[in-house]
Amino acid sequence: MRGVLKLIAKPFTDTVGLARWMLVIGVVLTAVFVVCAIFAPWLAPYGFAQSSVDGARFPKVGAPSGTHWFGTDRLFFDVFSRVVWGARTAILVVVLSILFCVVIGVPLGLVSGYFGGWPDRILVLVMDAIFAFPSFLLAIVFSFLLTGIIGGSVIAVALSLTAIYIPQYFRVVRNTTVSAKEATYVEAARAIGATDGVVMRRYLFGNVVQSVPVLATLNAADAILTLAGLGFLGLGIQSTDAAEWGHDLNRALADAGSGVWWTGLYPGLAIVLLVTGLTLVGEGLNETLNPTLRRRRLLPVVLPARTTTSEEVR
Amino acid sequence: MRRQNLVRLGAVALLAGSLAACGGGDSDDGDGGGGSGGGGAPWILGTTDSVTALDPAGSYDLGSSTLEYNLYQNLLTVPANSSEIVGDAAESCDYDDPQTLTCTLKSGLKFSNGDDLTSSDVKYSFERSIQIQDPNGAAIYLLGSITSTDKDGLVTLDEGAIETPDDTTVVFHLNKPDTTFQYVLTYPGAAAIVDEDVFPADEKLADEEIIGSGPYKLSQYKAGEQAVLEINDQYTGENVGTSEQVFVKYYSEPSALKLAAENGEVDVAWRSLSPTDIADLQNNDAVTVATGKGSEIRYWTWKVDGPVGKQKAIRQAAAQVIDREAIAQDAYDGTVDPLYSIVPPGYAGQKDAFQEKYGDPDPAKAKQILADAGIKTPVDLTVGWTPTHYGPSTEDEANELKRQLDESGLFNVTLKSTEWEQYQTIYKEGAYDLWILGWFPDYPDTDDYLSPFMVDGGFFQNGYQSDEANKLVDEEQGTDDQATREEAFGKLQDLAAEDVPFIPSWVGQNTGVYGAGMEGVEDTLDPAFIFRFWLVSKSS
Amino acid sequence: MSRSGSGSLPRYILQRVLLVIPMIWVILTLVFVVLRVAPGDPVSAALGGKLNADALEQRRQALGFNRPLIEQYWEYLSAVMRLDFGTTFSDNQPVLHVVRDKGGATLSLTLAAFAIALVVGIPLGLLAGRYRDSVADVLIRFFGILSYAAPIFFIGFLLQVYVAQPLGLPTSGMASPITVFTVEPKTHILLIDVFFSGDGTAITDVLKHLLLPAATLGLLICGVFIRLVRVNILQTMQSDYVEAAEARGISPSKVTRKHAFRNALVPVITVVGLQFALLLGGAVLTESTFNWPGLGNELVKYINDRDYGAVQGIITIFAVAVVLISLLVDIVNALVDPRVRY
Repeated sequence: MRGVLKLIAKPFTDTVGLARWMLVIGVVLTAVFVVCAIFAPWLAPYGFAQSSVDGARFPKVGAPSGTHWFGTDRLFFDVFSRVVWGARTAILVVVLSILFCVVIGVPLGLVSGYFGGWPDRILVLVMDAIFAFPSFLLAIVFSFLLTGIIGGSVIAVALSLTAIYIPQYFRVVRNTTVSAKEATYVEAARAIGATDGVVMRRYLFGNVVQSVPVLATLNAADAILTLAGLGFLGLGIQSTDAAEWGHDLNRALADAGSGVWWTGLYPGLAIVLLVTGLTLVGEGLNETLNPTLRRRRLLPVVLPARTTTSEEVR
Repeated sequence: MRRQNLVRLGAVALLAGSLAACGGGDSDDGDGGGGSGGGGAPWILGTTDSVTALDPAGSYDLGSSTLEYNLYQNLLTVPANSSEIVGDAAESCDYDDPQTLTCTLKSGLKFSNGDDLTSSDVKYSFERSIQIQDPNGAAIYLLGSITSTDKDGLVTLDEGAIETPDDTTVVFHLNKPDTTFQYVLTYPGAAAIVDEDVFPADEKLADEEIIGSGPYKLSQYKAGEQAVLEINDQYTGENVGTSEQVFVKYYSEPSALKLAAENGEVDVAWRSLSPTDIADLQNNDAVTVATGKGSEIRYWTWKVDGPVGKQKAIRQAAAQVIDREAIAQDAYDGTVDPLYSIVPPGYAGQKDAFQEKYGDPDPAKAKQILADAGIKTPVDLTVGWTPTHYGPSTEDEANELKRQLDESGLFNVTLKSTEWEQYQTIYKEGAYDLWILGWFPDYPDTDDYLSPFMVDGGFFQNGYQSDEANKLVDEEQGTDDQATREEAFGKLQDLAAEDVPFIPSWVGQNTGVYGAGMEGVEDTLDPAFIFRFWLVSKSS
Repeated sequence: MSRSGSGSLPRYILQRVLLVIPMIWVILTLVFVVLRVAPGDPVSAALGGKLNADALEQRRQALGFNRPLIEQYWEYLSAVMRLDFGTTFSDNQPVLHVVRDKGGATLSLTLAAFAIALVVGIPLGLLAGRYRDSVADVLIRFFGILSYAAPIFFIGFLLQVYVAQPLGLPTSGMASPITVFTVEPKTHILLIDVFFSGDGTAITDVLKHLLLPAATLGLLICGVFIRLVRVNILQTMQSDYVEAAEARGISPSKVTRKHAFRNALVPVITVVGLQFALLLGGAVLTESTFNWPGLGNELVKYINDRDYGAVQGIITIFAVAVVLISLLVDIVNALVDPRVRY
């Protein structure tokens, strides 16, 4: 447990000054949205598709007020509630798509890299082709297919995102597998008679899966933008299925030209803030974990008091 | 070659004039070309409609016909704000009997390239449209009275269906009594007259090469971007345009079109601004929002053979609850009008049948209807809508309908949406109990609002079957006696209100937004949705 | 990246070139499958709201959409090989003309955006990297992140409403109608044609139309450049030769200018090629916001119309462009850095 804590704290303890502050800001921003996502039903005053309370209709395109902090939109919905619920949609879609990516991409890359041969070559070719293609265009094509078949639901959009991010997971895992399978401990395991399945599960999996979290953080910010872009083009999630910022922004464009700023500003800000938060976290991690970027400290601070510092952490 | 002509025309002078005009207006008479039109300044029409093809053989949509009405002549046409059809290329068309229509052409008609327009061109135009069989063309769908379709879907012109006894006479022999045929002749997608020496017989002509005999001719076309029309010197009819040139600029987003109208980048914005935009532009002094009667409708269709929709009392109860005024106001900011019959006001024989039968929205009455039929409330309803095909405001309407039905306490609505392609497949399969559809007429006749909806479950296949409806449609199509037709129309509408195979929701207005110096825009905004460029002018 | 083979450069290039064809084939097949599996077809997309099921079915039959998929697939592949894309279904244009005209528009937009991103992004990135952790660094990095984080359509619309209107800049299209009308299409890229025409008013008009869309898209890429350049500067500054130079007593500013900047920019150039894909993706949203008559905007429209021929034609062009650029980048990379050829 302490090890995990230390690992989590590492980016903070390793950074100094402004870099640390940027990381902290990123973590805080992301955390706020994650909290909104988890506790949306309690934090949001109304449902995402609720247009009246106790039989009294909300105002249409009502300006921000005491009862509706961010105003109401054309559909009589409460903008604040939709922004909060939107966090849930955004994070759900991203988490789902990353989950799908991991569930499909990691075993695929592992098996492909481990066994090699022509199936591996074909997979690499296909994944490289998908990876090279503009991902947003691909997401458009896939979401047409999926929203057509399963409707404009969270799952459909999450799957569209999965389709465009999977090649990255595949490539990373496959390449790690290819180099790791030559390692002595894997050779040794095979020598004592471990089957391919065991080698992959026991020895390789733990090794290759380490690169996944960094990739996931990097993709998360991009996924939020792609989701919003699809929503903006009208290919994403519909307002009665869930609250989605891109969709709301699209509908709000007509309002913005007529001086109604609140229906567009808040969903727009939400996207900007969440993506900023995720990017800051990603950059912060990159800056501390990537050895070529780490600031070299001239003073050997940690050497003499190693045991005590780990005590202090507790 | 065309382009060189243009450059000679004094393009630089025009350019200077037009750019200045964008800013505020400037006098510019340097249009060098000695056209028959007046000296009106060029003006720019902005639209979000898209063009399928400028060859009539390949078009069956409003974006294409907007240009085609100005580029070609039909035998007959619809004058602005009138339901009385008059001659265009024809002096007149008259029924000898309900199966024979004889048209006499005006004399001295010419195409813009100088070729004579004769009865042979007319016959050729029909023959080639049918021969080409373009799935996007209206000919194979609207000319059923002079064609037959074999089992593979191949449409052929009936032997001897079109006769040309002399250069100015065309006789149509119909395969069944059909008095709506004369209305079809006003629609360019089915009946525009093309030059037989220019248009190939078995394939579509490229858009930029088309030649017509209308008041304007095409001088430049860039698909999805812009079209430039110039006055046609050869045109001898009455609809002479005043502006030497008309630019049509195509937009993909209504919000972009609205900004363009506000900034004076276009002189007229026509189809389709969002309700919010129109409401906002009404408060803008720099532009004028003009509205005319419309003909585009939305309606909610019941799955009449579905588990819920099969109960007439449920269908009637919903019709009793729906508040169309509120839909028009809340979902469309009052930019549409409530519709109380599937036929919009202004058409011969129209009556507000739903209004007469149900009166004002009344949940108590609806409750009674359901109670009388012994139906337990609340009734669970699955209501379908589609996000993009009918514009973003469909979302607002679906939500408003849900609120109204839910608030009555009689229904429990679940909204479901899917994209257009999947939508049309699954509504036929019964995925929704009630779903929204739209309609836009092909020709200005009441029949076009009744026969597609009431005969054998309508084109949407909702399972509605009424022998009486079928009989009434045959009756009105088989006579050219106006009184008999109107009576049949009335009965059909009453039948729809009683059986409720669908619930009419609203009829759109024909809205145009124009800037300073524009005249005549109001004159052309009518239910026929023909934008008559010749009526509009810009003062210089 | 781990490709076997000896380290000879021609052989590496040959391998990469040979890979181009299967990669394009994969993309084409993928798009074909997705389009055909997706519900709908061109006929019902256009006329589903007017015709009954029988009439729709007759049209599908007549057009051959009911034939076995494999037959249609083969037909399509052979057409692509003959470079024959036919005519679009939904607006009657030769697909090659669409690609030429709209492609020219997309190219002008992306190149202009690229130029803006380079001019703004690289100096800012250098500055941020050079003065790491200074206030300037933080501000520049925040700017970079924000420009990446803000959705294009959001920024685009804010610019349209709050910048274009007060300044009197046009908000839609590539040029005013009269310019499009009068400029002679020599290359079919308006931005170039207008300079051939030598018409001052027209040139100003085109440039005015280009400004906001290019700035919007450029801003997105700019953030990426800032990050990229900054990271590369940091890496170079810590590399041995910079240290060595410092140790030799060369002044820090000279080290930065002479050594770090130049070496930091080499990898940037190669990564720039990869940004092309991002740029094309962003172009879709920019084009849709500014009514820019480009390929991305058309693609969305054609997919909506289920216009198989047009979509496949456009995707083919995109695939070829992207694959060729990545090929170019790889080759340049291999020429510059021998380590790439394993």
